[in-house]
Amino acid sequence: MNDNGKGPIHIGDGAAIPRKKDFGLFNAWWLAFFGAIGLLFYLCFFKKDPYFEILTYLADGIPVTIKVTVLAICLALVLGLITGLGRISRIPVINLIASFYVEVVRGIPLLVQLFYLYYGMANFVKWHLFFDKIVNFFIGTVLGLDPGPIIESAVIVGLKNFLPEDILSASVAMGICYGAYMGEVFRAGITSIDKGQIEASRSIGFNRKQTMFCVILPQAWRTILPPVGNEFIALLKDSSLVSILAVSDILRRGTEYNSIYYVTFETYTVVALIYLLITLVLSKGVSIMENKLNYYDKRH
Amino acid sequence: MYKKIFLSIMVVFFLAGVSHAKTINIAADCTWPPMEMMDTKKQCIGFTPELLHAIARAGGFEVNIINVAWDGIFAGLGGGKYDMIASSVSITEQRKKRMDFSDPYFEVKQGVVVKKDSAIKTYADLAGKNVGAQIGTTGFFAAKKIKDGKVKSYNTVGLAMADLAAGRVDAVLADDAVATDFALNSHEYKDSMRLAFLLKSDTPEYLGFAFPKGSKENLELVNKGLAAVKASGEYDKIFAKWFVTQE
Repeated sequence: MNDNGKGPIHIGDGAAIPRKKDFGLFNAWWLAFFGAIGLLFYLCFFKKDPYFEILTYLADGIPVTIKVTVLAICLALVLGLITGLGRISRIPVINLIASFYVEVVRGIPLLVQLFYLYYGMANFVKWHLFFDKIVNFFIGTVLGLDPGPIIESAVIVGLKNFLPEDILSASVAMGICYGAYMGEVFRAGITSIDKGQIEASRSIGFNRKQTMFCVILPQAWRTILPPVGNEFIALLKDSSLVSILAVSDILRRGTEYNSIYYVTFETYTVVALIYLLITLVLSKGVSIMENKLNYYDKRH
Repeated sequence: MYKKIFLSIMVVFFLAGVSHAKTINIAADCTWPPMEMMDTKKQCIGFTPELLHAIARAGGFEVNIINVAWDGIFAGLGGGKYDMIASSVSITEQRKKRMDFSDPYFEVKQGVVVKKDSAIKTYADLAGKNVGAQIGTTGFFAAKKIKDGKVKSYNTVGLAMADLAAGRVDAVLADDAVATDFALNSHEYKDSMRLAFLLKSDTPEYLGFAFPKGSKENLELVNKGLAAVKASGEYDKIFAKWFVTQE
């Protein structure tokens, strides 16, 4: 349009020349991140008693929090994709099941769900035993081999030690809850794609499945990913709720330390700083991802 | 006219307030059967509440028992939310630095509860095992001393027992009275659990009522009442009521 040489040349999406992003040191993220690191460093090395001791006591809670979060995120993504597709399905039964799951899970507080799934279901579901049973069934009954060597193999035993029963149960409970929220995000992302895309895809001969997986989902990804990233951060913070289930995460270790030495202020300062640091790293990851995805949407 | 009525009402209230006996607000975590627990009418019952009421009668004051979660019960005492804690608090050196204790009213040992089919029989067997206990209790401190032990802390001892039943921990440590109650008397667990043994300790462990540092008046009042209840034989009666059926 602007071919008279006066205004900037407007080129359609996908071909804009990117402007260099400025990385000022004084934005909120850097301030919070280095503030937290600096404060933690200062407290632990210049006010050693009791801060350094608290940090060493909490240290083994950090991998537990990360394990619970990562496991729950993986489960929530899978459940979310299935639910999201189920919610827009034209088959009434699938649609009903997916909608029912979302309505039920969204209607119960996360804390109640955690108690229910962790303690209430403990007598019915034991994940390690469940795994053993599956291996027994497929290797033993279907293939007719001895499942013993697999169940007792170093890899499986190591994996079970890496993810003990309590962490597994807590992550599954978190994942089931967040799967419902994620499902809604997926559904919104998929329905946001213009109908013309479906029509165009169908008219050049793609079937429904191909349309969904080759045309719609790759585009929906861009709308879905930012809110999913926010869900990740929310999940990380909500993972502190599993401390109430006696899973030894950061908060639980902090409460334990406090129950021994009664240094409430110092303990929870360290707990808060560690959570803040982990969340900031994750939020940076999310914002980098968002920038990458928005690359072509920006008017440069 | 209205002023006079108002004033006379105020005077009545004031006199009523003076004539009332002193009330001590007491925090208890009522999840520790049979010492302190909730009944179906949402009242805190058990050995300690009954003892408290007897002490109050003997000492001439009134008690108001508040159910407070264990996790944070000491912070609440420090913050002045209540006047004393009567929640099977063991008298330890660490705690003595932060609060004052009444005369001891009960002796406890640490009991180890395991599943019926468990192989744990002695203290040495606990090494390297997953051990559960209520957070901040002497059972939890004892569990932390077990060699290579992996300690899980729970907000209430009931949750620890639930996890023991679910197989997520191998043993639970608690005061012997509580451990016995769960392993032998409780409807849910008496068929599946047993009391493995009691931990040996060099120094006897006593329960006391905890007060904020420097609250002399209440402390003396309660100590006097406790001595009277012990002397009159009422203590033994209450003890018999709650602990005779154990064996």
